[in-house]
Amino acid sequence: MKCKNVERLLSKSFDGILQPEEKEKLEAHLESCLHCQTKRKEYQIILDVLKEKAYPEPKLLFWERLQPKLKEKKKYVPLTMWKRWSLRAIPVSLMIIMLLIAAIAFLIPDKKEELSQTEVLLLRNLNPLQETRTLLEEESVENKNMMLIFSALEERNDIRRYFP
Amino acid sequence: MEEKKLVQLSKEGDEEAFAALVNKYKTKVFHLAFSFTHNRDIADDLTQEAFIKAYFALPKFQLKSEFGTWLYRITLNHIKDYLRKKGRVKEISLDDLAVSQEEEIQIKEKEQEEQRRRILYRSLSELPEKYQSILTLRDIQGISYEDISIILKISPGTVNSRLHRARKMLRKNIMPFLTKKGGINEM
Repeated sequence: MKCKNVERLLSKSFDGILQPEEKEKLEAHLESCLHCQTKRKEYQIILDVLKEKAYPEPKLLFWERLQPKLKEKKKYVPLTMWKRWSLRAIPVSLMIIMLLIAAIAFLIPDKKEELSQTEVLLLRNLNPLQETRTLLEEESVENKNMMLIFSALEERNDIRRYFP
Repeated sequence: MEEKKLVQLSKEGDEEAFAALVNKYKTKVFHLAFSFTHNRDIADDLTQEAFIKAYFALPKFQLKSEFGTWLYRITLNHIKDYLRKKGRVKEISLDDLAVSQEEEIQIKEKEQEEQRRRILYRSLSELPEKYQSILTLRDIQGISYEDISIILKISPGTVNSRLHRARKMLRKNIMPFLTKKGGINEM
């Protein structure tokens, strides 16, 4: 077994996760390799120093110092949440408005203006009173009524379009 | 009271329950911060800030992992942010490893031992952040592979290989000091 591979096994051995066959290989190699024995010793020293943990304790009254900070932060949390949502709402609202404008501009068809019968006649250089005159000159009441009905129907049509 | 119950109550805004969790984990969280900064004041501030972050993140905590593991992840991310902002190498220079007067008396008694430790911590702090994190979690804090994989969001296989590379790199960095008088070899 190469020394390079042994180093990996050494690392695993410190965590106690070696397989039985790996353990056997490692021990066999270490028995015959002075270089790897030294390496193991060095690793062990490093890990021992790291594990010593000569660390101080947290400062006194930890919770008593933390509690007012939590209360202080709590005051600002709803505000910051509102701010966060409002900041997101601005671009969303703008997009919705733009989409609505686009929908109005493109989806609703143009209403074509149509010309009234009188306007059509005037544009054709014809007398618009001609029809009225015909109506007035009509002697038969039935015909007059019929003409009035058709005329009224025509007037209800609000489409203003000129067909030359 | 059971930890899950304490977490549930804390999620509902019960400060007493959260205080119990703080008391249970404050030392572990503090030691994690201290192992990165080696400064008691900064570690204390980072610990307080990590608990504040955890308190406000509790509503999102789904209890899928242990509270301690989740808290460690928050703390580690907070420490990383701090180190990134402050400039890691500058922050953890050998000079910054100075300790208070009270602790200095103990250092004088064990001066040589302390010096070796400081050399080791210095070498550790000079490693790339991902190697420093994994060595701190495993070799200083003694956290399991499984929990490390949750905290760092990496697979247990990656934990193993990264840990190996980190130890190898640390040993390599310490080598110049190993042969020196008063170096690790003399321990």
